[in-house]
Amino acid sequence: MDFAWSAENDAFRTKVCDFLDSELPADWQSIARHGPGSREQTEFSLTFCPKLADAGLLVPHWPEKWGGADRPTWEHFILGEEMWAAGEPRGGQYMNVNWIGPVLMRYGSEEQQARYLPPMASGRAIWCQGFSEPGAGSDLAALRTRALRDGDDYVINGQKIWTSYAGMAETCFLLARTGEGREGIAVFLVPMDTPGIEVRAIPSLIGHGDIHEVFFTDVRVPTSCRLGQEGEGWNIISYALSNERVGIPRYEMSSRELDAMVAELKARESFGNAIVRSKAAEAAMACESARMLVYRVVDERARGEPPGTAANLARVAVVEADHKVTDFGMDFLPDCFSGDGHPAFQAHHERAIVTGIAAGAAEIQLNLVARRHLNLPKGA
Amino acid sequence: MRLAFNEDQATFATVLAQMLSDDTEAGFRTVDGWGRFDYGHALDARLEEAGFFDAAREDDLGAVAAAAMVHEVAKAPVVIECAATALLRPFLGQELPRPLAVRVDDAPGAIRFLPQARSLLSITDAGIRWAQIEGRGAPVESLYAYPMGMLDDAPDWQPLDVDPNAVRTLWQVALAAELGGALAGGLASVLEHVRERAQFGRPLGSFQGIQHRLAEDAVWIEGAQLLTLRAADSRDPADAALALGHLQSHATRIGYDLHQFMGAMGLTLEHPLHRWTYRARALRAEMGGAPQALLDYADARWDKR
Ligand SMILES: Cc1cc2nc3c(=O)[nH]c(=O)nc-3n(C[C@H](O)[C@H](O)[C@H](O)COP(=O)(O)OP(=O)(O)OC[C@H]3O[C@@H](n4cnc5c(N)ncnc54)[C@H](O)[C@@H]3O)c2cc1C
Repeated sequence: MDFAWSAENDAFRTKVCDFLDSELPADWQSIARHGPGSREQTEFSLTFCPKLADAGLLVPHWPEKWGGADRPTWEHFILGEEMWAAGEPRGGQYMNVNWIGPVLMRYGSEEQQARYLPPMASGRAIWCQGFSEPGAGSDLAALRTRALRDGDDYVINGQKIWTSYAGMAETCFLLARTGEGREGIAVFLVPMDTPGIEVRAIPSLIGHGDIHEVFFTDVRVPTSCRLGQEGEGWNIISYALSNERVGIPRYEMSSRELDAMVAELKARESFGNAIVRSKAAEAAMACESARMLVYRVVDERARGEPPGTAANLARVAVVEADHKVTDFGMDFLPDCFSGDGHPAFQAHHERAIVTGIAAGAAEIQLNLVARRHLNLPKGA
Repeated sequence: MRLAFNEDQATFATVLAQMLSDDTEAGFRTVDGWGRFDYGHALDARLEEAGFFDAAREDDLGAVAAAAMVHEVAKAPVVIECAATALLRPFLGQELPRPLAVRVDDAPGAIRFLPQARSLLSITDAGIRWAQIEGRGAPVESLYAYPMGMLDDAPDWQPLDVDPNAVRTLWQVALAAELGGALAGGLASVLEHVRERAQFGRPLGSFQGIQHRLAEDAVWIEGAQLLTLRAADSRDPADAALALGHLQSHATRIGYDLHQFMGAMGLTLEHPLHRWTYRARALRAEMGGAPQALLDYADARWDKR
């Protein structure tokens, strides 16, 4: 076992940090404050990601054929840590890099790959993920949006909800039903300017313009928009999720915000108080435990092991870490959550309250840990 | 960064697992007079003979293998003195006779393993001392599932020329490894129970109220295990306080869950659950317990002002 970073890993991290230092503008926090799904951050990503791409830091882990450099798993992960800790200047483009691109490489037709991968690799593509529906959240397989075959086209009707980035996305990675049950689900790559698509922003606690409802009314797309085969949708998202198994390295931002909170408390001469110090330590412990559980997943992947249950444990720990840090801030620095004084704490708060819900609720992860990791019997 | 064992560590772990799977040496049996612990003399002798307690001295095994061993040994229903021998003794610059009992900051009261101990180690800020106490620790009755003893008179202390902070850090790692193992052993036992035991026409383990609590317990235990191994690798004071503090903070809730889901069976001396939970209860209060470990960590990471 070796818990230290290699010199090569350190050098890569330094390169990423140097890039962020030189390329993030002085008012970056006031842009990041609006949240990764906001119009402000999405617009910013369209100038930032091309620069990342030019520096070889957008898709370094992708194959050379698609603009990458076949760099190792850990580097991709270090990149993710630094980006998230900086407030995710890639905006929604992180999805392209992490899973949409790799899924297209595996399941896409040549035409789809040629059309979609180059813009992703150059940092100029905004996608949204159309999975959840009003009646299909945790129980995603209950989705009802339907794609009916009509000659060489499909006609799509239905509604998606909580869709991040939909306001500015050019393409939707859409799940729709072509039959019944899990086997009746297919993936469609749908241009968002297709007639019949209507997007409505949902006002929310996490920033304006972050999440949306998307309505599909008689949306006609050619069969060439289908990714893989009819009925292959569930396998495709399982593969996508396995690529995105650990999700976002959220503990990294939490840990750094916690340091910033402690610095603020020290400046106020309030950190000598033993209760404050021990609560800060508790939050830090949650972050470090989450970090180690996430590293275990990355390590498994780096060694080429098949996806197991470690990711479910990691996701539970990440939720605890995010909440402990923002709660620490709200308990001991309540004034920082009003006005403009501390945009980073407020931005962290908005990211933290999402953690246990988006991309599979914490309780769903606990179900999976219980059943698959602890081998407990299925409920009634 | 590589979180898998190297080849030597993997072999070490495999052979250790074989030894621990021998029920006659490591398994549960009740003790005459309904004692709360069962000292694993046979297991102790086997590990000693095979040189397992010296893992930390070997470059390819190191303190990581030693900490992993303490964790695994603590999962057994029998108890042996392993933590101090495996994680402290190799770093004391002198070959102290084992078993080893340890007292920190002159804490009053009974000391774990004192009745068996041939050496007593004292850790204080003023320095590290040891005394040969062969047979002088009088056994005392205790709630904890450890052999506990009191010193009858002042021992003949000898100073050891080692950095007290380094020893304190190693002892935090050792306690974390033992506490993590005790909780993991208890969890495994409860999981087996709730998979089998049916009420309301279904196994207890199929109830979501039980599943979620045990799943959370597993997340804390496994996270802490990785933190412990990291601390063994770095021997950094912040890492060590973090690992111990994390376990000590969660041990109360985990111990509660384990007893709840075992029902009345967990309160009998005919079932081993107490072997783990009453060791965990002793360990969660060592070195000042979670409150002290949390402050140690805060001081190491942020210093006070
Ligand atoms: C900020 C944000 C961004 C999002 N972005 C997207 C996006 O871009 N695209 C997209 O498709 N979706 C997106 N989502 C939706 C997200 O995937 C869903 O919110 C999530 O799957 C949970 O579904 P739900 O909100 O309908 O909750 P529900 O399924 O209604 O569940 C509510 C709660 O009930 C509990 N629960 C549910 N089922 C169980 C069970 N079996 N056992 C125990 N407890 C249970 C959990 O606590 C859960 O949080 C986003 C969500 C958020 C918050």
